Amino acid sequence: MAIVVIGLSHHSAPVALRERFAFEEARVPAVLEMLRNARIAEEAVLLSTCNRVELYAATSTEPPAAFDHLREFLVMAKSYSDPLTDELYTLGEPHSVHHLFKVACGLDSMVLGETEILGQLKKAYDVALQHGHTGSRLNKAFQKAFNVAKQIRTETNIQRGSISVGSVAVELAEKIFSKLADRSVMVIGAGDTSEKAARALLSRGAHQVIVANRSYDKAALLAQELGGRAVRFDDWAEEGENIDIVISSTSAPHYVLDRHKVELLMKKRRNRPLLLIDIAVPRDIEPEVNFLENVFLYNIDDLQSIADDYLKQRQQEVARCELIIREKAAALLAGGIPGPRNAGVRPAFGQ
Amino acid sequence: MPLAPAAVRITLVSVAWFTDRHFFLLSVMLYGLSMVYSIFLWRKGFRRDDYINYLILLCAFGLHTTAMALRGFRLNHCPVTNLYEATAFAMWSIVAVYLIVGLWPRLRFLGAFASPILFAIGVFALMPSLDLEHGARPGAPVAWTSIHAALMALSYGAFGLSSIAALMYLTQEHNLKLHKIKALFALLPSIQRLEFVVGRLLISGFILLTIGLVIGAYDLSRLDHPHSYRGDPKVVWSALVWLIYAGLIVMRWKFAQGGRRFALGAIGSFIFVVLTFWGTNVLSPLHNP
Repeated sequence: MAIVVIGLSHHSAPVALRERFAFEEARVPAVLEMLRNARIAEEAVLLSTCNRVELYAATSTEPPAAFDHLREFLVMAKSYSDPLTDELYTLGEPHSVHHLFKVACGLDSMVLGETEILGQLKKAYDVALQHGHTGSRLNKAFQKAFNVAKQIRTETNIQRGSISVGSVAVELAEKIFSKLADRSVMVIGAGDTSEKAARALLSRGAHQVIVANRSYDKAALLAQELGGRAVRFDDWAEEGENIDIVISSTSAPHYVLDRHKVELLMKKRRNRPLLLIDIAVPRDIEPEVNFLENVFLYNIDDLQSIADDYLKQRQQEVARCELIIREKAAALLAGGIPGPRNAGVRPAFGQ
Repeated sequence: MPLAPAAVRITLVSVAWFTDRHFFLLSVMLYGLSMVYSIFLWRKGFRRDDYINYLILLCAFGLHTTAMALRGFRLNHCPVTNLYEATAFAMWSIVAVYLIVGLWPRLRFLGAFASPILFAIGVFALMPSLDLEHGARPGAPVAWTSIHAALMALSYGAFGLSSIAALMYLTQEHNLKLHKIKALFALLPSIQRLEFVVGRLLISGFILLTIGLVIGAYDLSRLDHPHSYRGDPKVVWSALVWLIYAGLIVMRWKFAQGGRRFALGAIGSFIFVVLTFWGTNVLSPLHNP
């Protein structure tokens, strides 16, 4: 029996096609039942997320025939009648096992090294296991995949660091303040990035959000969404003592926070540390402010460059991760039941 | 040679053939090993958990404690009777406080910053001319003098560790100001926490210093001619050190001048203490009869 994979992912197909093949959680056990009853595979696990739909199967049918059957099955299950070329990829051993391990470690994800996919994979495996659709072959392979993911998380830097601007802001806050729970965030202006950053800070425990905007209504709206409160734009400085983190993104052509204002703010706050995040272009906060004692100013370029550095670090780790994956896959395949000798017919896109 | 009788005396009362100075030497060697490992940790950007360095310092502490215990048993009181013993005691208290504080994983990297300083002071302490047999102070009761010396050494230990934490603070603050990524991926605590640690250690040191000086003053008053020692360099110096640290505390808490200035103040004050301690000790007829 060999382990094979068939599926499509963000590497091979656009979202319009991926959504056609997505399976609802509730339908998955029935689909796997159909697959096994049709004797196309002895064991199967179905993974369906927003970025990929993949069927992992253990089958004693020879790969070329197995791939045809699986392709037919998927197309029939989703009643898909349009032509398909290489959006649907198929993998035989050992590439199928490599692929499984890579997916578990986040190496095949849109965001390199993301950890959500491991949870999704575990859930998909659990569903298949509970309904009796897995056997010794897939059980061993998936357990090994989870172990490899854990090993890579602890031994390499592939999952470390924040690669989005919002989470970089959170990391900064955690390096400056001892407890995020006591800190207040002020959002001046509005914008997608500032909202994301505020949400990220809130999710990590920030105490409250205060929103200030030239338009009070807009401020109130955003404040409601974030579970905070709104203040009049001209009064934002009155909140002085309450502010520890400021996220600024107004469309003002001049500096909203100049050196003098920040000095006054620091005096009010008795020189406690202050994190200023300036997302606006043109900038809202006078750059000189960074020279003040206990003030830390980051503009959008700084945040982005930290995120880019982290991404670069992750990319440097890919080679090391792939080495570990190949070792573990070889060990798994050597120790398992011998499968058919020929390898995969069509490798996955990007391999 | 004037050193030979002292060396012979020390050797004669050692346990087996290993003297307390041998144990201290071993502990200094381990501080050196810790220093080398710390350079390796620094090069790696403080990314991995520092438990190996903690263990090295723990072993060194064990040997160091053994050395002091042996000396204490031989002398039959707290081993702070000469410069070697006082320095060893101050080092010991730095390591002791570190081992407690280092139980928190985030603060464990203090050890990496502390070990070069410990090694340097240890090498200095091993100089034979520091380890001379001294009689008790002129006419003062030995017990109170020992407590005075022990408290002073403990306070220097607290000041020492606070300046090490201040050094860590300055490193982090520098990286954060200059938007360096190593500010984030290094497993160092937040600067607010480091500032808190510096402050608490400084206050602890100050309290110990105050009590130590009060006991010293009481000790002094029991002498035959206490007023003749009024201009004694060490006494004047101690008052100066007390004023410097009091000033730092006022600056931090009354005038809210925390952060960088406070960290630099803590480091500067300790450097001043380290540079002038032995000189004033030698010049002081009260401490060096």
